[in-house]
Amino acid sequence: MNDLDVRLRALLPRGRVLTSPAQLAAYGADGLGYKNYRPDAVVLPADAAELAAFMRGAKRLAVPLVMRGAGTSLSGGPVAAQGGVIVHTSALKAVPVINAHGFWCEVESGVTLNDLDAILKPHGVFYPPDPSSGPVCTLGGNVASNAGGAHCFRYGVTSNYVLGVEAVLLDGSVHRFGGPAGGRGPWREDWKRFMIGSEGTLAAFTRFWLRLLPLPEKVWTFRATYPDLTTTEAAIHALVADPSYPAAIEMLDPRGVAMVESSQMACGLPEGSFLLLVEIDGPAPLVDGRVPHVAELLRRAGSTDVTFSEEALIRQKLWKARKAAGGLLGQLSPSYVVQDAVIPKRALAEVLRLVYDEADAAGIRVVNVFHAGDGNLHPNFLFDSRVPGELEKVERISKHLMERVIAVGGTLSGEHGIGNDKSGYMPLVFGPDSMRLQLAVPAAFNPTHQMNPLKVFDDRRFGS
Amino acid sequence: MDPEAPSSHFSNCTHCGFCLAVCPTYKLTGDENNSPRGRLRLWSEEAAGRLPRDKWTDFYTEECVGCLACETACPATVPYGQIFERIRHDHVTTGRSHPGPVLRLAAALVTAPFWFNLALLPARLLRRCGLAWPPLLFPGRPPLLQSSAAYAAELMRLRNPTGPRVALLTGCLMEAMFREINFATIRVLIENNVRVVIPEHQGCCGAFQEHTGLGDAAALGARNRKAFGSVEVDAIVCNSSGCGYALGKSLAPDRPVRDVLAFLGDLGPVRRQREPTDATRVYVDLPCHLVHGQKSPGIPAAVLDATGYRWELAPNARDCCGSGGVYNLQKPENARAILAGKAAFLNEAEGAPVVLATSNHVCMMQWNSAGKSGLVKRPYEVRHVIQLLDPGECFGRGSGPA
Ligand SMILES: Cc1cc2nc3c(=O)[nH]c(=O)nc-3n(C[C@H](O)[C@H](O)[C@H](O)COP(=O)(O)OP(=O)(O)OC[C@H]3O[C@@H](n4cnc5c(N)ncnc54)[C@H](O)[C@@H]3O)c2cc1C
Ligand code: SF4
Ligand code: SF4
Repeated sequence: MNDLDVRLRALLPRGRVLTSPAQLAAYGADGLGYKNYRPDAVVLPADAAELAAFMRGAKRLAVPLVMRGAGTSLSGGPVAAQGGVIVHTSALKAVPVINAHGFWCEVESGVTLNDLDAILKPHGVFYPPDPSSGPVCTLGGNVASNAGGAHCFRYGVTSNYVLGVEAVLLDGSVHRFGGPAGGRGPWREDWKRFMIGSEGTLAAFTRFWLRLLPLPEKVWTFRATYPDLTTTEAAIHALVADPSYPAAIEMLDPRGVAMVESSQMACGLPEGSFLLLVEIDGPAPLVDGRVPHVAELLRRAGSTDVTFSEEALIRQKLWKARKAAGGLLGQLSPSYVVQDAVIPKRALAEVLRLVYDEADAAGIRVVNVFHAGDGNLHPNFLFDSRVPGELEKVERISKHLMERVIAVGGTLSGEHGIGNDKSGYMPLVFGPDSMRLQLAVPAAFNPTHQMNPLKVFDDRRFGS
Repeated sequence: MDPEAPSSHFSNCTHCGFCLAVCPTYKLTGDENNSPRGRLRLWSEEAAGRLPRDKWTDFYTEECVGCLACETACPATVPYGQIFERIRHDHVTTGRSHPGPVLRLAAALVTAPFWFNLALLPARLLRRCGLAWPPLLFPGRPPLLQSSAAYAAELMRLRNPTGPRVALLTGCLMEAMFREINFATIRVLIENNVRVVIPEHQGCCGAFQEHTGLGDAAALGARNRKAFGSVEVDAIVCNSSGCGYALGKSLAPDRPVRDVLAFLGDLGPVRRQREPTDATRVYVDLPCHLVHGQKSPGIPAAVLDATGYRWELAPNARDCCGSGGVYNLQKPENARAILAGKAAFLNEAEGAPVVLATSNHVCMMQWNSAGKSGLVKRPYEVRHVIQLLDPGECFGRGSGPA
């Protein structure tokens, strides 16, 4: 047993401490599996109280601390980029309060999104943010990266639903930033916005108070295909401005469609088409009345292939191509990088052109998924990290893409966070003054940058 | 271990993490090493020479139940089961894993069906007399001496069915210990006008070898390819999901193997009539090797309806019960903890009697242990679904006529 091991065990009498090389290997990567950073140790606190107690002693360990939920981050968030200890929250799984009448719940940070959904459903309420990693990602990871999802066009992202955050700082102090009653009453400092999207750089989250909504009475799903980008854009613009206010507007580009159609998930989509998926929901009489109008809107924009349904099974089929896309990427190539740029919708054609041209020139396959309502573009670059030079090509394309995104007035990340994968692009968006102010925030909470160093800012290093 | 093949398989894993949520050992321990993504990483790091041989890799490998839920969850279709089998076999042959002497003896015996049947005759006798005590042995009345093959031949002569012809795998443990289920299968098939053939010289399906990493599963596969390869039948059927999965792999791609319940579902089986006052409630659990191994949608509703009982799926029916072939013998604490979560509902379940039905004998053993080990504190019965279609089935006195 090494010295770190002994000290960690003293801090975690009930939880677990992993220090053998074969216990650390699995914690080397997040959703970007090809990048590996082996931590010096992993700890699994037995519960929230032990996590808080651990944090009290953690400063004296004098090694970086990295919080980790399910490790599905696509930006290099929960990995030990500067070594140190990974704190895995998998035991923090309680949902102590569901207040369906007050439309809020209290959950621990290791609860997975789909588990929360299942627990809430019988109460007739739901928590709207829906990243597609829902079956496995944790609320801690969601809050720390301000996760979004397909339905965030209408419902908004994680930050719109966090009423309060319980956060443990490196001195062991436990803070409740906000709470079920917002920042009032006994819930003193309402600094939760500092915490949301902080990517593990400020504090360890132990629990949240989340806002809930009544489950929509009725949902209709529409699927339409378009022959070209012009007609697709016409549909997106019309939908965004339409009073039917869709909950989700999702797009898959022709390369994505081709990928689905050449797989076992094929669903008969026309070759070379753009796919749009739209969902409207709400009280039955209201949504039912809007169905013909939305269908007509989709046709008028130029689709001759509009299908829609309210039935769960058919709706699942309509979503199939869009949902299958993520998995098929993995079947096609051993590694992929997904960018997360947000662009003004008017710039879609220009940015897509750049992505296609650069990827084709470099011989890299690319598939684009677009949260079209929010202007959040996900180009997925497929490559093989074992082939020398491929990753570099992808990184070069990504850099050109980001430069163009900034030039058209967009930004780096819509929902995946910056981590260490996109930290190099930060100076492209933010000037030196803004960077200085942003860096002052983690410095206020942990002056030596012990929490998740080398993330968000390239030079945010522990100990310097 | 072939250094090339596995590493190319491992690299299909994009590290998305979707498999974590369904893995029983990850749910139990919260340790990512104890998850599919974690195990794949340990094996691939070792194969790539970045991780030395380590007792923890051996430990986490042994922890895997082999339920294959991760294969169903994986969007990248990583063939986890195939990789795992190869690694486990490799760990056993190189002395990194040490299955106990009972398992070694059993692995040797199942390759010789005659001796296996003979060795388990006393156990059959005890079960028949209702004297079986180990918690895994569910009650039943296995015929002692007549073999399933002889019974099928006799019943075929008596009933002379004229419908489709099937070849049935009788299995090793199924035949030696739980033979009453084979007899029930034969009765139900013949009652449904199906002609039943029991190919001679068939042997163990190889699942036991795959579960333990012991012995030569390939040799068993070759024997069964010979036994089943040329029989002229409309379908090859199995009445145990685990055996069906293993035999299916051995006979692929030439001869598809079907679960007997799926086969009956297509036929539309004869429906059993029950008294209107019958308060039996059947809770159906789906074996992992049926839904995740054979990738079947489940047990057909037409079959469950035909039992005549009120039935519903058990909560989390697609999740593992902890049996994992011989996992409950090798890792009894984990197996019990996994079962605890699944079985708790039985304490409150409605019905008199309450029946837990499934389609794999090793799952039946595991479910039976829930009562004997105190996880379920009220009486309930464990049955194979085929037994609920059996004209001879009735509750309260073991398992139907011999
Ligand atoms: C296939 C796939 C699809 C995805 N789809 C989407 C999508 O549609 N929308 C979207 O927004 N994201 C998506 N993601 C990205 C990812 O799932 C989200 O960022 C998610 O919120 C991460 O949750 P996690 O539990 O895995 O957190 P992790 O990956 O473990 O951590 C993410 C960040 O949160 C920090 N963190 C985790 N727990 C805590 C805590 N308790 N306290 C403080 N900090 C903490 C970590 O340090 C890290 O910086 C997807 C990922 C994959 C692999
Ligand atoms: S087979 Fe089952 S126990 Fe093993 S890794 Fe897959 S899900 Fe986990
Ligand atoms: S679901 Fe498949 S691709 Fe994703 S981490 Fe698990 S094994 Fe790898």
